[in-house]
Amino acid sequence: MSFFINIWRIIVSAWKHFVRNLWLALSTVFVLVLAMLSVNVLLGVNVLLNRAAQELESKIDVSVYFLANTPPAVLEQAKFLMTSLSQVQSAELIMPDTVLENFKKQHAAEPEVLGSLAELGENPFGATMILKAKNTADYPFLLQALDNPQFNFAIESKNYDDHAETIKRVREISNSVQVFGLILISIFALFSILIVYNTVRVAIYTQREEIGIMRLVGASNSFVRMPFVLEGIFLALFAIVIAGGIVYSATVYLEPYLSTFLDGADPGLLTYFSANWPQLVGAECGVLAGLVALSSWAAVGKYLKK
Amino acid sequence: MITLEKISKIYPPNVQGLRDINLKIDHGEFVSIVGQSGAGKTTLAKLLIAEERPTRGRIDIGGWDITRIPGRDVPFLRRQIGVVFQDFKLLPKKTVYENVAFALEVASMSGRRIRDIVPQVLKIVGLEEKARRFPHQLSGGEQQRVVIARALVHRPKVLLADEPTGNLDTLNAREIIDLLLKINSFGTTIVLVTHNREVVNALRRRVITLDGGMVVSDQAEGKYLLPV
Ligand SMILES: Nc1ncnc2c1ncn2[C@@H]1O[C@H](COP(=O)(O)OP(=O)(O)O)[C@@H](O)[C@H]1O
Ligand SMILES: [Mg+2]
Repeated sequence: MSFFINIWRIIVSAWKHFVRNLWLALSTVFVLVLAMLSVNVLLGVNVLLNRAAQELESKIDVSVYFLANTPPAVLEQAKFLMTSLSQVQSAELIMPDTVLENFKKQHAAEPEVLGSLAELGENPFGATMILKAKNTADYPFLLQALDNPQFNFAIESKNYDDHAETIKRVREISNSVQVFGLILISIFALFSILIVYNTVRVAIYTQREEIGIMRLVGASNSFVRMPFVLEGIFLALFAIVIAGGIVYSATVYLEPYLSTFLDGADPGLLTYFSANWPQLVGAECGVLAGLVALSSWAAVGKYLKK
Repeated sequence: MITLEKISKIYPPNVQGLRDINLKIDHGEFVSIVGQSGAGKTTLAKLLIAEERPTRGRIDIGGWDITRIPGRDVPFLRRQIGVVFQDFKLLPKKTVYENVAFALEVASMSGRRIRDIVPQVLKIVGLEEKARRFPHQLSGGEQQRVVIARALVHRPKVLLADEPTGNLDTLNAREIIDLLLKINSFGTTIVLVTHNREVVNALRRRVITLDGGMVVSDQAEGKYLLPV
């Protein structure tokens, strides 16, 4: 019973502190919001870079062009052998007829190309096999595996565009963003701690008479301390709500623009934030409230010891 | 009730607040502690509520050795000793009632008990009619009575008052002393720190005189001896 009375009185008293020092509280919230935004922007950039790398990786494949008139049995054999490799994600066979049709479709507006094709009288194309590896790193192995005496005689040419340079660049950017981000986040965390510490010190200073009386009439240390710690947590919660609102609206607003950079692919920001928001908000709340509570605690502690 | 054995207090770096004090105050006594400014009276009062710790010696209150009392136990000590200190005034933004109730709120008392106790102590100090007023609407003597009421809410066995008549005229001072006598008559031990000669001489109770941090006299029905 008395526990709940206490909790309620402490919350009320913390809220009063917050309102009384409104301007100080607002500027503190502002700094905390900046800190939260920097964290979330970095998260978002990271998501985007990962997405871009993924997008590039999904475009990598090996096209294997078979000689025309390769017996279907050999093609099936090749497909079967490649599929059975654990590194292979998919092996798709495009039969000569389909290749021809695709070719005709592609060159529908070029009568001379179609004309010379017609002159040949028969389908000049062999089948094509499109291979995708589970891992980018496995492509060299796939290329080797294609040199299989059971069907290599039927391969006319291979086309492997690995985008390796681009992917490497994206990964490098992503890594340096992470390092830079960690430094930035640490700086903001430090600022947040100092700012909250200072805010609580000021709050304590304006309340020093009340605190003196509280202690004199037998208030426990935690009763004196909790309102200030809670005040810090209030500040943190405000900051999180505001930062959350900004992050959400910015994501919704920016996503269409971002998708044009990714050749129209979904940038995945909104998906990422909406799929992970409970964990993100939880973790950010936890860390921020923890830091803030700790620095408020320390600020009052200095006063209590005298 | 209160025992001090060979108590010395040295403030850093090297200020001798108290020197080798031996005292015994019995349950129900009314003791005045007098002495010139800087004699160590406030230091003694602060030791009794563990606001300061003695450098040497031992303090015992009601069988509780508070010499090295840990910080987390101090609040419980404070609820057993009512305190009226010069520099702890009323909260200006709270009414008389709220100022007194505050002392109970911080000790996790339920709302019902608070509504029960506050009018009782306000009645003892004769301010039940002025419960809704703010401190600035009261005279100095009335304000001091509210402070005393606040000190009484935990029904302390000891009431410790440091210069409670410090800023009051003779008439108001007289009223405060009468109030302390009344509280003493209920069985509460009173430790009154003062340098008011008239007050002490009129009381005809035990007087302990401090000088330079030492007890220089301790008389059962004492007078204020030293020149003011
Ligand atoms: N917090 C303190 N730090 C250093 N010296 C102090 C402190 N408090 C009191 N003193 C010194 O201790 C002596 C006794 O002071 P105090 O107990 O306040 O005397 P009184 O209340 O009798 O006027 C004085 O010399 C005073 O300057
Ligand atoms: Mg003094």
